[in-house]
Amino acid sequence: MFAPLLILEGCGRGRTSEQQVVDLYIETDGDFIAFRPDKLTCAAGALVRLTFHHAGRLITVRHNWLLTHADQLEALSKDFSANDGVLSKDDPRVIAATPLCDKGDTVMVQFTAPSPGDYPFLCSTHPEDMRGILHVTK
Amino acid sequence: MKSARIPAVLMTIGFVLLMASTVAAQLKSPGDVKTGLRLLMQVSNDFKRQITAKNFPRVPREFKEYTESADAVRTAVKDEPADFKAKVETRLKAAVAAYQKVSDISSTTPDADKLMAEHAKAVTAMNALFDLFPPELRPDPNAPAGIRGAPKN
Repeated sequence: MFAPLLILEGCGRGRTSEQQVVDLYIETDGDFIAFRPDKLTCAAGALVRLTFHHAGRLITVRHNWLLTHADQLEALSKDFSANDGVLSKDDPRVIAATPLCDKGDTVMVQFTAPSPGDYPFLCSTHPEDMRGILHVTK
Repeated sequence: MKSARIPAVLMTIGFVLLMASTVAAQLKSPGDVKTGLRLLMQVSNDFKRQITAKNFPRVPREFKEYTESADAVRTAVKDEPADFKAKVETRLKAAVAAYQKVSDISSTTPDADKLMAEHAKAVTAMNALFDLFPPELRPDPNAPAGIRGAPKN
C-alpha cells in the first residue's frame, strides 16, 4: 500500500541544475513509538526527498515526520502535547513535515536541507518520545 | 559455610534461568508475545503521561490502543494449549477492565490524583498478566518508551 503524498517545503521550492538530490528513508519501529533509524544525514542545500513509512501492523495510531530547529524542539513538543499533535500549516518553527499517516502507509516530503548543523525531528502525535536527529553536513 | 553455599546458589539460579528459557522456547510465537506485552507496557506508560499532563480527553484514545495491544497478545498465544490461553484471557480481561475504569473516570471525573491511583491498580493487573510469561519476554518497566535521539534544550 504505497500511496505517496508529495509536499513541497523549505526555502527552495524549485531545484537548481547543480543541486544535489538526497533520498532518505525512515520508518516507525513497527508498532513501537520510535523512528528507525533515529539518525539521518544529508548535505546542506541538497534537495531532500524523504520517504516515511508507518511500519505498524497492530495499533491504529497515526504518525508523521517533522523537522524543526534544536532551539524550538521543546516549545513545539509542548504545543503538540496540548493540541493533540495538530500541526499549523504555516508554523515557522517547522522546516518540513510529512502528513500524518496510518499504519502500513507511506508518505513523502521534499525540502531543501538547511545550513549545517543538527536538526531534531519528531512525530507530532508522540512529541516526547518519537524523536531523532538530521545531521546536515557542509 | 557461606562460601560452600555459593556453588549451590549459582546452580539454582542457572537451573531457574534454564527452565525459564525452555518455557519461552516452548511458546509457539515468543517474538509476537514479547511484542504484544511490550505494546501493553508502552500504552500503559502513555496513559500515565496523559494523566500527568492532564490531557484527560486523550485518555480514552489510549484505552482504544490498549485494547488493540490486548488483541495482539491474544493473537500471539492463539496456538498455545487451551489451559494456558484461558489463564492469559482471564488476566488480560482483568487488565483491560482496569484500564477501562481509568478511561471511564477520565471522562466523568477527571481528577489526576484519582486517575493515578486507578492507573496504579491497572498496572498491578497488567503485571499479573506478565507473570504468566517467562522473564525474558516481559517488558522492562524502566525502559524508555522510544528512542530519544534528540537533545533536550
